[in-house]
Amino acid sequence: MAAEGDKFVYDPERNYDDATLAQIRVMENEIASQNNIVSERLSMQNLKDEYADADDVFKLKIKDLESRYHYMRRTRGDGNCFYRAFGFACLEMFLADSKNLPRFKDVAQKSRDELVSLGFPQFTIEDFHESFMDVIEKIEKQCSVTELSDIFNNQGLSDYIVVYLRLLVSGYLQKEAEFFVNFIEGERTVKEFCNQEVEPMGKESDHIHIIALTSTLGIPVRVEYMDRVDSSKCTQHNFPEDSQPSIVLLYRPGHYDILYSR
Amino acid sequence: MSTPARRRLMRDFKRLQEDPPAGVSGAPTDNNIMLWNAVIFGPHDTPFEDGTFKLTIEFTEEYPNKPPTVRFVSKMFHPNVYADGSICLDILQNRWSPTYDVSAILTSIQSLLHDPNPNSPANNEAAQLYRENRREYEKKVAAIVQESWNDDDDEED
Repeated sequence: MAAEGDKFVYDPERNYDDATLAQIRVMENEIASQNNIVSERLSMQNLKDEYADADDVFKLKIKDLESRYHYMRRTRGDGNCFYRAFGFACLEMFLADSKNLPRFKDVAQKSRDELVSLGFPQFTIEDFHESFMDVIEKIEKQCSVTELSDIFNNQGLSDYIVVYLRLLVSGYLQKEAEFFVNFIEGERTVKEFCNQEVEPMGKESDHIHIIALTSTLGIPVRVEYMDRVDSSKCTQHNFPEDSQPSIVLLYRPGHYDILYSR
Repeated sequence: MSTPARRRLMRDFKRLQEDPPAGVSGAPTDNNIMLWNAVIFGPHDTPFEDGTFKLTIEFTEEYPNKPPTVRFVSKMFHPNVYADGSICLDILQNRWSPTYDVSAILTSIQSLLHDPNPNSPANNEAAQLYRENRREYEKKVAAIVQESWNDDDDEED
């Protein structure tokens, strides 16, 4: 039994923020020690194993996925998984087919000045932009998938890519604020939404983020939704709707991984 | 190999030297780029005017993706500063953005001295006096402004 003195008594003069942050850090480290940031290519059996004891809803959906996809790549569940999955899948696609790479590089190159003109601080934008362009240049020089995987599994470099993708999303939402303000919950401006839900690391992504990132980079994506909806197949959604994406992400509530078509 | 955090801190330092914001300064400690000393001068037209407040900024390898830990070393009397010198400021916690640099951090703290937020108090006495007895608040602040000069003397001795 805990002694009387062990009871938690709130002390308004004490700073609990540090304790909270320390606890979050412990949880983050635990997740980090268990998974790579971006995994190797895994067979669909790996997903099947995870759901060995699941009910039929999931089993049927995995069967559906298996019939259409060959491999998957898992990403770490750290709140950045959408950006990480999208970024990796996009760059890996350019390693296989560089036809659209010059256009992509051009968009990326010009994005820096666009962000600065939207009021982002030039000095820090440059830092993230440079790192992002460095990676694109590696892709241009046809680095190996292993090298790309090494970049994405290096916490510092990997996070820099995520930050830049977050900034691109924020920039696009702010540029098209008049439209997106209708989709933001709560009494918030688009800028406030971006400050709270887009720019900070670890903030999860919703439809609005996906629409923004695919639109600003001109890279369409398909998302396969594997949830509890009573159906034998996963629900598919292309962003934008009329596109033919070559990047496919698997969505399970709260998490994105990468899928590879057969 | 230089990590992104270290490379970025070198750039932050360079920028702070080339384009110093008014009323703040900061530099890495002698042997450790991850630990900085900083000074914020009390802003004009506030009770903090003429104070020279020292702080430490501690970075991790996750900077700038995670905020550093910033603490006042000089004694502080302010609604949003805890007794141990740590600061209750949203951009140093859940509103942190990787686009902030050391210069932005220091100027944000400087403007916190200008505009305290008594609604999220870290020092109840300071928050209450700020709201209800501004004269007494200013007296207490004036005392820590004086103390901040004594800190300087200690160092010069």
